[in-house]
Amino acid sequence: MPIEQEKDDVIARYLGSELSSVNAQLPKKRKTLSQLLHEEHPRVSCLDGSEHFFRIDELRFLASILEDHERDDLLLPMIIEVHSGRSDMMVRSRRSDEEQGVEAKVFAEVLDMPVSVEKTGVRIYRSQLGAMRRALKTTTQYVFTL
Amino acid sequence: MAAKIRVARPTKIELARLKRRLRLAMRIQKIIKDRLSILVMEFLQTVRESAEVKERLQKEYDDAYKALSLALGYHGYAPVEQTLMISEMPFSLHAATRNVAGVRLPTFQMEENREAPQAVHPAENSSLLEYTSDMARKCLSTTVELAELQSALELLGDEINKVKRINNALEYVVIPGLDVTIKYLSMKFEERDREEVARLKYVKLLIEKREAYAY
Repeated sequence: MPIEQEKDDVIARYLGSELSSVNAQLPKKRKTLSQLLHEEHPRVSCLDGSEHFFRIDELRFLASILEDHERDDLLLPMIIEVHSGRSDMMVRSRRSDEEQGVEAKVFAEVLDMPVSVEKTGVRIYRSQLGAMRRALKTTTQYVFTL
Repeated sequence: MAAKIRVARPTKIELARLKRRLRLAMRIQKIIKDRLSILVMEFLQTVRESAEVKERLQKEYDDAYKALSLALGYHGYAPVEQTLMISEMPFSLHAATRNVAGVRLPTFQMEENREAPQAVHPAENSSLLEYTSDMARKCLSTTVELAELQSALELLGDEINKVKRINNALEYVVIPGLDVTIKYLSMKFEERDREEVARLKYVKLLIEKREAYAY
């Protein structure tokens, strides 16, 4: 019986660590597009101690879409929230109620169609995710939530 | 496969602990399933991109060889070799990592050094050699792109296998095991309660009988 107990504890510990490690790749602090454009090797530090690098082509592409003042508003990497059991995902954005966020503008441009903007962010669907990730490989990241 | 009943102590505290663990396991399984679906999507996309880049690379190599053979035919082997020996390609390769759903994938960025002298100078050489040099540069850049995609494929594949194993372990071993143990303990406690009721009834009957005899 003590062996069974130990095995159970190991499983519990493992499950606990799995839950915490799933989102360990998130950035400690996000940077704005204008900040990243001035860096020679644009990157952010992640919670697990690793570094996430951005492709310069992607940053230039984003800069070409946005106006000068909008480059200071866009925080990178953009975080895609994956909610379990739902087909849609959310990208949080900083915006006032009157105007749509910079993220919405970027996604609308990338997907070449209007996106559904909500109070808390931009809603995207799984069918749109492929096209979006293809264009913004390093400037988007996933976070898994319940 | 029948799930094993694992119980250290058949107590109510143990039952509460098991129920808590079952909830945790189910939450983790949900997240792991999401992660698996995202990883599979990324993998398939990388496969598609890799196929496209391979096709492009094949075409670029074809063009590059055609251009080279044209240049060789026009200038002769020795002069072309001489030009290629003294020329160099001014570029640097920056290797870094990016994160995709918890998997660290390599990224390679080829940067051309515009200040350095050109590999084949257009003023000193023919347009054929210049064209060949351009084609070779294109091939190199596409090869780097393909290397990035191929290594991403391998890493994503490994991670998918790992996550699948965890998901299967949760789905077919951990969760059914906890379920069965919780059911077993609940039934045991219910049985104990029923026994308790029966015993109390029997004791009550005995007391009533004893009281009846006393009168």
